[in-house]
Amino acid sequence: MSDGSVKQFKKEVKPVWCPGCGNYGVLSAVFQAFGRLDVPREDIVLVSGIGCSSRLPGYVNVYGFNSVHGRSLPIATGVKLAKPELTVVAVGGDGDALSIGGGHIPHIARRNVDITFLIMDNSIYALTKGQASPTTPFDDITTTSTYGTIDEPLDAVSLALAYGVSFVARGHSADVKHLASLIVEGIHHPGFALIHIISPCITWRGMKGYDEIKERTYYLDERHDPADKAQAVAVSLEKERLPLGIIYRERRPTYWERILGQREDAKSRGVPSIETLLNQFVP
Amino acid sequence: MRTDLTLGIAGSGGDGVIVAGDFLVWAAASEGLYSFMLKSFGSQIRGGESSCKIRVGEDPILSQGDKLDVLVAFNWKDYAKFRSELEIKEGAVVLCDSADPTPDEDIPLPRSAHPVLYKIPLQQIAASRTGRGPGKNMVMLGVLSEMFGFHADAIQAALRKRFQKKGDAVVDLNLGLFEAGAAYVREHVQRRDQLIFSYRRAEPKMVISGNEALALGAIAAGVGFFAGYPITPASEIIEYLARLMPLYDGVWVQAEDEIAALGMALGASYSGKRAMTATSGPGLSLMNEMIGLASLAEIPVVIVDVQRVGPSTGMPTKSEQSDLQQALYGTHGDAPRVVLAPADVEDCFTVAMDAVCIAEEYQLPVIILSDQFIGQRKESVPKFDANRIKVCERPVPGPGELSNFKRYLLNESGISPMSFPGIKHGEYTAAGIEHDEYGNPTSSPQMHEQMNAKRFRKLETLRRRWPYVRRYGSSGAEVGVIGWGSSKGAIKEAILRAEEHGIKVAGLVPQLIYPPAYEDFEAFLKPLKKVIVVEMSYSAQFLKYLKSSYRLPDDVVLLKRSGGIPFTVEEIYRKIEQEVTGGVRV
Ligand SMILES: Cc1ncc(C[n+]2csc(CCOP(=O)(O)OP(=O)(O)O)c2C)c(N)n1
Ligand code: SF4
Repeated sequence: MSDGSVKQFKKEVKPVWCPGCGNYGVLSAVFQAFGRLDVPREDIVLVSGIGCSSRLPGYVNVYGFNSVHGRSLPIATGVKLAKPELTVVAVGGDGDALSIGGGHIPHIARRNVDITFLIMDNSIYALTKGQASPTTPFDDITTTSTYGTIDEPLDAVSLALAYGVSFVARGHSADVKHLASLIVEGIHHPGFALIHIISPCITWRGMKGYDEIKERTYYLDERHDPADKAQAVAVSLEKERLPLGIIYRERRPTYWERILGQREDAKSRGVPSIETLLNQFVP
Repeated sequence: MRTDLTLGIAGSGGDGVIVAGDFLVWAAASEGLYSFMLKSFGSQIRGGESSCKIRVGEDPILSQGDKLDVLVAFNWKDYAKFRSELEIKEGAVVLCDSADPTPDEDIPLPRSAHPVLYKIPLQQIAASRTGRGPGKNMVMLGVLSEMFGFHADAIQAALRKRFQKKGDAVVDLNLGLFEAGAAYVREHVQRRDQLIFSYRRAEPKMVISGNEALALGAIAAGVGFFAGYPITPASEIIEYLARLMPLYDGVWVQAEDEIAALGMALGASYSGKRAMTATSGPGLSLMNEMIGLASLAEIPVVIVDVQRVGPSTGMPTKSEQSDLQQALYGTHGDAPRVVLAPADVEDCFTVAMDAVCIAEEYQLPVIILSDQFIGQRKESVPKFDANRIKVCERPVPGPGELSNFKRYLLNESGISPMSFPGIKHGEYTAAGIEHDEYGNPTSSPQMHEQMNAKRFRKLETLRRRWPYVRRYGSSGAEVGVIGWGSSKGAIKEAILRAEEHGIKVAGLVPQLIYPPAYEDFEAFLKPLKKVIVVEMSYSAQFLKYLKSSYRLPDDVVLLKRSGGIPFTVEEIYRKIEQEVTGGVRV
């Protein structure tokens, strides 16, 4: 990978993120991944919702769409289906992806739209200044849980497996190289790829996120077979230590392939002209 | 002899009321007649009572007609449930099944109307041919055709065309039932000249609903992406496009909800496709945030709202005009959008095309406010002219503009060229967050003011280019009627009736609801001393909007009511008469 190819993706706009924010690591990984893709800039689209993490498209010199809270997946779906030759990556925080936008994941999963989704999980609502998020651990104190959270946290990887997401991986923002390779794999995967990224917010959670990365993660090795769903589910259930790497991967028809199949099928009986369509309403 | 007649049919689920109505309209259209058909169902999901009201005539039909000239009651218990929708005229002809056990004195018809009652053994004739109950509706069709003096061959041809797919046996059976009904009339009904329908055969007409017409308009306009979530009464649009889109290389998605539907449409439009979604009131409520996004990020999109009775789930199978405020003002912030209202079935076709053009050129959300009354009724209309189809292109940046591309260029028209993925050097970030000319986020109040001005400037540009109102009646009138959307038919007919009675009145129906068509309204309002505003909204949403947009005469009369049943010509005509001739004000 040449530095020149990475450089073209960097915008002059400086990120507004706090120094030390995990999202810088994700941004670097995105630059590196795009640099390795061999896809022209104008054919890449980054779609996000709203949140600190959702600012990311504004810093990358490709087509971007910084939309509204929680809705990056439907928008990315529209982008991709309108122009399937595009490389479409959706990004957002854990609140964006799993709370307000959580209802869209099962549906993009069952459609298997060829999009890569990066969930930057900092276990907090950062942009809105420190409220509990759907991944805040039980009993943690935040601005909306002065006495400790009483909601159980959600696990993006388990959910993704349960929803039938065809590519599930986990990385973290402190290992940019590893994360970049996961992103490349996710983009190359034909179908919906969900990558759970531990991306700490030091402003609202201090070093907790970085501690978690150090103490509670491990890299999957060749003993893990991503094609084996039972094994994927088993490792996803490990609570003490979180697996990193490609957890599950399955090749099945993408939504676009199905659309093309159906289109061909529909057209095999002939395509009426507009005149013929109108005539169908005349006795 | 008559040239215009209104007929109602009521019965139970198994009676085939709607099928009979469909056939009648289809047959009339094959003879070149105009017609208009409303369906009404009970509240059950399947089966149960249903009714339809059909008006047929030689001249274009503007409304559902008032009281019935002819009533067909398959059974009196079911008719009783639709009595208010199917009132009969003085001296109406009533056909009922002699199998119905209701004694004459209990028949739920006003004696004062002196109906002419024919009891016909529909059930018995049908059973003698099918061995079972069904088929009554075909017998009835034969009865009506014979009584009206329709050309039987036309109806038979229409029947044949409809049943063809089901095989010869089915065709023969139905033709037999039809003929048996006709034969019964020839034998047993002597005095029937009162019903004979006089007409010249003409070019066959098209029989189509507003929802179907709207979907066709979308196809004609080159809509390449559609996402929707099922909801009454918009589902026919979603269903028909599901069938059509794949044929024309379009993409159709059944979204998980309305938020996703509009989100997908926005994504596709951002990628360069003409995109549309369709819903009804509650769905539009869910879309509100996305409407703001489309407005601020300047993304073309067409949103169809086939209004039903609200709020909340209200009465989902009935019509109202009470989503107006939601369409005009829904979403937070100052969010320019365009609101268009088709006023009849044919309009649904053209307005769909115009909406796509406006969205593409002006890059904002265009809301089409249709309603159940036009969306689900069947009309026969002259065949749409394929030569009138409009396809518009969105302004994309030329090579000169790409060297330093400003997606949100501040210019005079407010319309800046829009690049899309795949266009080299056109890269930008579309943003729901306030941005500068390049699309970079900003929280500068000055920039927000300038961008607001730019976005609203588009409406000024549009207003001048799309004069989009209809005028009726006399130019010298001092009293005017203003209404919108599906009320048009009854308004126009009431104005025609008033003129026949020597009453001078003018009418205005805007199709461009927002932005306001100032010049046209000003010209219309100037000579008026009094204006009657007609709308189907309890809280008078339209009047409030008119008051906030135009200088109305001091004397404003409001004819408003909740939805459920469409306005009748009589209702509007009475109001006009009262107001023009100085009757008592209520
Ligand atoms: C409909 C809506 N509700 C609430 C908000 C406020 N809001 C903005 S960002 C955000 C949460 C951000 O958290 P997350 O998605 O985890 O991203 P982070 O900022 O932590 O990266 C919320 C609640 C909003 N913009 N829109
Ligand atoms: S608040 Fe947290 S998530 Fe947001 S920029 Fe700062 S460190 Fe990053």
